Amino acid sequence: MQFKLASVDSIIIYFGNEINQNIAQKVKRAYLGLKELNLDGIIEMIPSYTSILITYDIFTYDYKSIQKQLKKSINLEGKETNDAKVVSIDVYYGTEVGLDLENMSVCTKLSIDEIIEIHSSVLYDVYAIGFLPGFAYLASVDERIAQPRLSSPRKKIPKGSIAIADTQTAVYPQDSPGGWNIIGQTTRELFDKKLDTLSPLSVGNKVKFNPISKSEFIKQGGVL
Amino acid sequence: MSLEVINAPLFATLQDKGRFSYTSIGVTNSGVMDEYSYLYANKILENSLDTNIIEISFSNVMFKSNVNTAVVITGAKCEFFINDIAKRGWQLHVVKVGDIIKIGKILEGTRVYFGVKGGFDVEKEFGSNATTIKEELGGLNGDKLKKGDILPCKSSTFKHTIRLKDKYIPIFKNELVLRVILSYQDDSFQEQEIKKFFSSTYNVTNEFNRMGCKLQGDKIACDINGIISEGITFGAIQIPSDGQPIILLKDRQTIGGYPKIGSVLSIDCFKLAQVKPNCKISFNPISIEEAQSKHKEFYKSFSV
Repeated sequence: MQFKLASVDSIIIYFGNEINQNIAQKVKRAYLGLKELNLDGIIEMIPSYTSILITYDIFTYDYKSIQKQLKKSINLEGKETNDAKVVSIDVYYGTEVGLDLENMSVCTKLSIDEIIEIHSSVLYDVYAIGFLPGFAYLASVDERIAQPRLSSPRKKIPKGSIAIADTQTAVYPQDSPGGWNIIGQTTRELFDKKLDTLSPLSVGNKVKFNPISKSEFIKQGGVL
Repeated sequence: MSLEVINAPLFATLQDKGRFSYTSIGVTNSGVMDEYSYLYANKILENSLDTNIIEISFSNVMFKSNVNTAVVITGAKCEFFINDIAKRGWQLHVVKVGDIIKIGKILEGTRVYFGVKGGFDVEKEFGSNATTIKEELGGLNGDKLKKGDILPCKSSTFKHTIRLKDKYIPIFKNELVLRVILSYQDDSFQEQEIKKFFSSTYNVTNEFNRMGCKLQGDKIACDINGIISEGITFGAIQIPSDGQPIILLKDRQTIGGYPKIGSVLSIDCFKLAQVKPNCKISFNPISIEEAQSKHKEFYKSFSV
């Protein structure tokens, strides 16, 4: 655990310098622990792959005392916990919505059914949320279906699209430009003002994609 | 009782101090770009300091008053009329039912703040009225003000007028020095690059909005091309591979993968919020201790 200055009222804690599950587990543990403590004078926390950015009230802490407080408050010891919330997301993996499925099938020499099977059999970790509100970076995608970003990004990726970029996968919470490979679509809201938490996902959750049929997708409100 | 928007403003949004505690799911802080002008507007109106306000970025916004109350404008210097009579900024003005309030041409600076006694009675979304258009959050339906919008507010009576002393009214120049705390990936910049950063003068480009301000000038080289995406704070200075600094402001994205050389002191970002493209920007280093003391001084001056 390494502290680094970020700004007049922010400090960033690094837990490592590569993307892997072990470091993500530390980020998650520290983030959930601090959230639980609900310390006065902590204004914002942004967890990501290897770090947590913390914005604090400088009328409560200075740069030295915040480090002391964080050292005292973060406990990275203890057993692995397997009680992460699992969010299940129904996906229609059809070529009408999975715009890059056919191309991916050619590149990977796998059938579309095999790609679907591989993508939906993994329990993904939420590593970070950003880029768009509710856009969760999920990993790790099986190497067999890992695909680089498109050389020329699309101007508009439809809301609900399930996408792959290298070993990461994600759901687009709204229409957006983007360069990820689209393999399916969900009707599930990932950024929803009706939810108290705004998003059903949070760093530390796990995500399972559940393949559904075309008729089920339409029944759920999907549009082809 | 309300104020009604009677023309079609180009870009005016309801704002406040910002939306906090949702950055972990990618929701930006938003809020007023120039807190100095915002806080003084509320102080002049004797409002609580977190009262909402309208931020106006382009000329010409007109309101009809359906209420007896008081209003103020602060921020950029601009034409300001009540029933076609020119009025001063940074001063409380009484308005009556039927009055027409016009914020005309912006003369110096870029953002005008228009506040009303007691603020606008608009329901907050996730703790704030701050409008973030890309997130469709805050304001009226998550959007900028449009012709016909009704902004409810309470009536108030006034016996005296309040005007800010001239020495507190900012003067807008075409050059600005920003104080920078070296931070984040500063170790990945060679000494001569840091020296260059602090000795060069940069131009503000047209790529300047509520998200950030792109500068143009001497290229700053970084030893690394990108970083693993991490949280971005207000004022952070990204150095993308083209070497041209970008200062991230209120509507910034919450995480990003460009290296950052440091962060502009927040209270200096409020001054940056008022500059125009082609303004000359230079940077001075400041220690974290001094930065925190300046920051505290700034906010303390409003609480007394």
